Amino acid sequence: MNIVKKIKTLLKEAELYHSQGLMYEAIAKYNDATELIQKNEQLKNKQNLLEGISKKINVLNKDISKIELAPKKPEVSENIQDLIKKMYAFSPDMDEGAKALEGAVALAKFGQFKRAISDFNELLKRDSTRVDAAKNILRCHMALFSIDEAISQYEKWLLDDIFNPDHLNKIYIFFESLLNNEGVEKTLPKTKEQVDKVKVAVSSENDQVQISEPKDAGLEKSETVSEGEVESEAGSEDVLDVNSIGISVDSGPQKGHVYEFKVRFQLGKVVSLLIPSRDKDVIENFKIGSEIHDVQYYSNVGLFKGSGLVSAVKEITIGPLRGDYCVDIEVMVH
Amino acid sequence: MAILNLKKRQIECKIVYYGPGRCGKTTNMEHIYKSYKKQVTGEMISIDTEGDRTLFFDFLPMGLGEIKGFDVRVQVYTVPGQVQYRSTRKCVLKGVDGVIFVADSLAVRREKNMLSLKDLQHNLKEYGINIFKIPLVMQHNKRDLAGEGLPIMAVEQMERDLNRQLKVPSFPASAISGQGVGATLKECLKLTLISLKREMKLGQ
Repeated sequence: MNIVKKIKTLLKEAELYHSQGLMYEAIAKYNDATELIQKNEQLKNKQNLLEGISKKINVLNKDISKIELAPKKPEVSENIQDLIKKMYAFSPDMDEGAKALEGAVALAKFGQFKRAISDFNELLKRDSTRVDAAKNILRCHMALFSIDEAISQYEKWLLDDIFNPDHLNKIYIFFESLLNNEGVEKTLPKTKEQVDKVKVAVSSENDQVQISEPKDAGLEKSETVSEGEVESEAGSEDVLDVNSIGISVDSGPQKGHVYEFKVRFQLGKVVSLLIPSRDKDVIENFKIGSEIHDVQYYSNVGLFKGSGLVSAVKEITIGPLRGDYCVDIEVMVH
Repeated sequence: MAILNLKKRQIECKIVYYGPGRCGKTTNMEHIYKSYKKQVTGEMISIDTEGDRTLFFDFLPMGLGEIKGFDVRVQVYTVPGQVQYRSTRKCVLKGVDGVIFVADSLAVRREKNMLSLKDLQHNLKEYGINIFKIPLVMQHNKRDLAGEGLPIMAVEQMERDLNRQLKVPSFPASAISGQGVGATLKECLKLTLISLKREMKLGQ
């Protein structure tokens, strides 16, 4: 193929790739053409050709920038948000609260944080979803980069009467771990009194127009939970979000073998595991009501040990997971 | 997983078009929307961004009529193909019953096809679904571009690259003209319904 024909072919390919939306492939072809033109001294209109190609590459680069700078998860219309919710709240076994919670979580996953926060706020009214909704509201605020908003929301809850102390403690542990993961150093108040104390300190600072070290937000060290204390916190009614668990079999032919399972979901103290059919042997150790000793619980914060009470064992009979088992275990930390 | 409503005698299942960015998933769906009006039961919803790239998903509701006294409804989705939307693709795959993998026949997209298929396998696995077990159909799209002078891969090569182990039904197609689009969807629906029927029998 002569050189002119080769260049023409490359330019045509570049145009076609561009029309297909394949920007990088188009640029590659234009670059190949440029190289070929530059190498060939005898080519007529060489400079004009190179300038023309350079303009085309500029246009492509602008298109690429537009695409890359476009918001990754923009707010979409209410109709589409409703569809997103519907997509995820479809399990017939779920109650209304759980469905609504799943729908709101889906909205958050698709970056529809404002609507998600509004839906989670509605779910604060239900006992069954209150704590999960609160955790997700904090998550949404954090995702919107309004850490201050999240903290002020948390402090407002401490002052309100929506949550009981047990719930507040759960939210506290969750929020502290969320802030730690984001690298935010902030000592959170744990009780209403501590929030009041901070407010009084701030107001008296303002009255006296004095500059003081805002190191610990007026909290005493003993009142905060350090990372080392998380384990003992988890030992009370509060259970951290568990990602996976390790179980040591203590009897039968599998004695001593450690199995690790991912947690599918968690509701308070109860974690739900999916046990593949290939691990059928281990199912025999799970009798409803029986206690499993020596369980390792892996959370985002770290590992904590304890035992577990088997509350449900169900074989999945339909769907792609047919033959696998769903096992619910109540976390017990001594 | 398909939703079975015994009270309303309804089966609702979910088909997802998967594949690399710009391979023609939305074009497939647009053709279905235009050409299968009888089966389409609502509006097609597209959420796209700059450069007509699918942002979250496209959605098309369809009805297949009655099968053994059950009203069969199908929700067809596409995923965003661009690499950076991995988490969205995973979200859209939740509860999937059947998958159509749209591969791009352009030779320059060979690697993207393979990466996307691996991504599909990985995302299915996260939901506990085995790619070898789920109803899956492959489409070799953009066959028409050979006529435009662009280098495209031979079907045999694409089969070797993508379907050597899976051995699923595959169709050459040109979504822009509609060729092969209906055949691909019909095959996927057939496999999905067979699979659902088998599951329902076993579940009884």
